[in-house]
Amino acid sequence: MPILNRKQRVSDEIPTASMADIAFLLLVFFLTTTVFNEEKGLPIVLPEQSEEQEVSAKNLIFFIVQPDGTVVVKRGESEQEQVVQYRQVEIILRQELAQNSNLIAALKTHPNAAYRHMVNVLDEVKKAGAERISLQVLEE
Amino acid sequence: MAAKKKGFKRKSGASSEIPSSSMADIAFLLLIFFMVSTVFRKEKKRHIEWVTAESTEKIDEKRKNILHIWVEQDGTVYINDQIVPYDNISDIIRPIYAENRELVVAIRGDRDVPYNQINTITEQLQAAGAVRVTFATRVEQRVQRARR
Repeated sequence: MPILNRKQRVSDEIPTASMADIAFLLLVFFLTTTVFNEEKGLPIVLPEQSEEQEVSAKNLIFFIVQPDGTVVVKRGESEQEQVVQYRQVEIILRQELAQNSNLIAALKTHPNAAYRHMVNVLDEVKKAGAERISLQVLEE
Repeated sequence: MAAKKKGFKRKSGASSEIPSSSMADIAFLLLIFFMVSTVFRKEKKRHIEWVTAESTEKIDEKRKNILHIWVEQDGTVYINDQIVPYDNISDIIRPIYAENRELVVAIRGDRDVPYNQINTITEQLQAAGAVRVTFATRVEQRVQRARR
């Protein structure tokens, strides 16, 4: 029986040399596939409830957001109203801020206006670089 | 001096190879460390249509300092997976804020929610004292406009 006597050449050990590669591969795989949904948005600091400030009318500019998404611009002192699309708000506010850096952008939103219209205008106001923003709801 | 020269010739007994047999253990250790230390937020995702804004910023705040308020299209408000009536928002926020003064409240509202609802929430937040708020948005990619 010469076959039975043949010497076994195959090693009976599990190869451990590539174990590190496998482990690192797993590590890198999990590192790259993990997605953290990062927090994004428009930050704003609300005024404390007690603090109400008196502001002179000339430092105010009102952006009144209508339910259909158009914006009525009203400068503090004048009664003049100007109806614009929300995309024009940035340009208008930029010009106003150049003249008066203390200007407060007051967003008055109609209670029935969709949230997105308000965010659109807030976006424009932020883009114009306004530091002082006030959020209000339009009282009928 | 002669002795020193002899020292140079001495055969080193230490192997010059980096031992690779423990590499697997190190790698698995790292793997297990990251697996254990990763904490996932348990909150369920609500179905909302996001609002978009071009000036969306990344909020650099620790995960544990952020509280989500979800407002669905029909106006229902969820805080930590629970429906909250509008009048109770400040009562819910107040103890959370008392525990963590660095709290940032992220309002995740549906784009079609009437602003009245959002305004009620911000008023309630003011009443609770949590004044750091973000309106959670998605980045808007608009066609580049000519910028002066």
